[in-house]
Amino acid sequence: MSMVADTSVPVSARRPRKLPVEASILAVLVGIALIFELLGWTLRGQSFLGNPSRLLIIILQVSIVGLLAVGVTQVIITTGIDLSSGSVLALSAMVAASLAQESDYARAVYPGLGDLPILIPVAAGLLVGALAGLCNGTLVTLGRLPPFIATLGMMVTARGLARYYTHGQPISMLTDKFTAIGGGANPVLIFLVVAAIFHVALRYTRYGKYTYAIGGNMQAARVSGINVTRHLMLVYTIAGGLSGLAGIIMAARATSGQAGMGMSYELDAIAAAVIGGTSLSGGIGRITGTVIGTLILGVMTSGFTFLGVDAYIQDIVKGLIIIAAVMADQFRRKRRSI
Amino acid sequence: MKKSLLAAACVLAVTAAPAVAKPLSIGVSMALFDDNFLTTVRQAMATHAQSIQGLQVQFQDAQGDVGKQLSEVQNFISQKVDAIIVNPVDTATTKRMTSAATAAHIPIVYVNRRPDETSLPASVAVVASDDKLAGRLQMTVLAKKMGGRGNLVIMLGDLANNSTQGRTAGVKEVLAKYPGIKIVEEQTANWERTKAIDLMNNWITKGDKITGIASNNDEMALGAIIALHSNGVDPKSLAIGGVDATADGLDALRKGDLTVTVFQNAKGQGAEAVDDAVKLANGQAVKQYDTIPYELVTPQNYKSFLNR
Repeated sequence: MSMVADTSVPVSARRPRKLPVEASILAVLVGIALIFELLGWTLRGQSFLGNPSRLLIIILQVSIVGLLAVGVTQVIITTGIDLSSGSVLALSAMVAASLAQESDYARAVYPGLGDLPILIPVAAGLLVGALAGLCNGTLVTLGRLPPFIATLGMMVTARGLARYYTHGQPISMLTDKFTAIGGGANPVLIFLVVAAIFHVALRYTRYGKYTYAIGGNMQAARVSGINVTRHLMLVYTIAGGLSGLAGIIMAARATSGQAGMGMSYELDAIAAAVIGGTSLSGGIGRITGTVIGTLILGVMTSGFTFLGVDAYIQDIVKGLIIIAAVMADQFRRKRRSI
Repeated sequence: MKKSLLAAACVLAVTAAPAVAKPLSIGVSMALFDDNFLTTVRQAMATHAQSIQGLQVQFQDAQGDVGKQLSEVQNFISQKVDAIIVNPVDTATTKRMTSAATAAHIPIVYVNRRPDETSLPASVAVVASDDKLAGRLQMTVLAKKMGGRGNLVIMLGDLANNSTQGRTAGVKEVLAKYPGIKIVEEQTANWERTKAIDLMNNWITKGDKITGIASNNDEMALGAIIALHSNGVDPKSLAIGGVDATADGLDALRKGDLTVTVFQNAKGQGAEAVDDAVKLANGQAVKQYDTIPYELVTPQNYKSFLNR
């Protein structure tokens, strides 16, 4: 099987072994962190990095976006895109929260439901996410819609459904067992485990080889016997499932499910993937890069708060970094093709 | 005295009654459906409208976009609705909506956020609350719990909303009387709970000895409380104030995590806006500026707010 994948990935798309692209992204991450370290000493008189709990918080505040980014990275590798992740997050947060309310709360969405085992809201949230993803996959493959359009439709629809579910009312008074999922460093743990799983899956399994093969050249992948339709559906379903997981964690962390959750997170997730070296033309990208891209976003949020800089400056810098990342990607490819 | 009250009630009943006479349609443009407080206002309008016979209400979501809101209002005008209710996205850009509706002889009622326009035509009414008062009420209680000294952080709402500016100004008015309280941080969490968790985490890590949190709304105060819990700090040892008295806010007050919140009467605002719109559509006069009062909510009296 590996032979199939090897021939279908264009030579130009293969990473040169000696200089992994992650090295340069890692350098950017370290560089940004050092700038904050320097500014911290000069402006605030204290260390930015020399604080273990800050390092945890940096990952904690981006672990939800990170989960979405792991999903969208895989979709982008297949030359697709997923714009629906933030809205699907909200929908699954609402559904999961509605099944995890305290049984003695009089104004529950489903009064008299009783305390359900924790597995039920979690499974429901994952299922909602996976179903939305499957819908995306079906629209892209069988419906022959461009991924941008299919997932744009899902983005609007899922947000509408999330609002319609309780007519915009937040769902609160969740059981302690459920909120424990988002407590402490759990989101970080879940994010890192999920990232590790998909890193291995993409690099060392047939699933990954198919994914890169389809992204490198879809026609060649089809001709060489890969069931492209089925595989794309799987990739979109996984991305949806990860959005569902992110929704569960977000509801647990905020101890509330709200229809406005995850607004424009899909763009942060795509940004993390792109900063991390995933090419929007498909075929190229790694989870390690995406994780570093996610951390760059986290370091910036923490760093600017640490310095007491206005939140809007952060968006300006984030935008510039995304542009720089894509320009670097173009530049690298041009150089390779010469 | 009793008689005159009764008479007044009769007059009110009579003036309200003609609303039933002919079917009316009202278009409502909300600033943002996803805002939890505005959702309560919106639902209050919907519920109250149902109780008025022959009244049809259509809701639109401006999604925080000034341009979108203006075109929604223009759509309502071309639809020839009998009255328009607007919850303005930006209080500084209401003029065009006011003049468009007035030119088409359609009354317009602004709810929850007071337009910055100084002179409004007679067919325009405003139903809102005074944001500065909310800040003042909140900070007075916080300053007392802080014993008049310590480090305060202020969590700001969306910087483009004048509720953020008003409430913060109210907080600072009170602080002027307490030189012992120092503002160590003042940043926005955009009204959102999850953003507030991250903001608070970052502040705690920085090592400021925070003893008070003045939050522009309950959602952000709740986020701060979640962050305190996860850092092993008991929120009860701090003075934490919110605004809105949402269901979640009242629950935190019951647990003792939240020191104080300020009740903004969402249902009162929503119902009053619908009433004003109906009256204006029927050619009746209304009070142009209707201020629904803020009320202080503390652990002693929170129970009476649970079902309001």
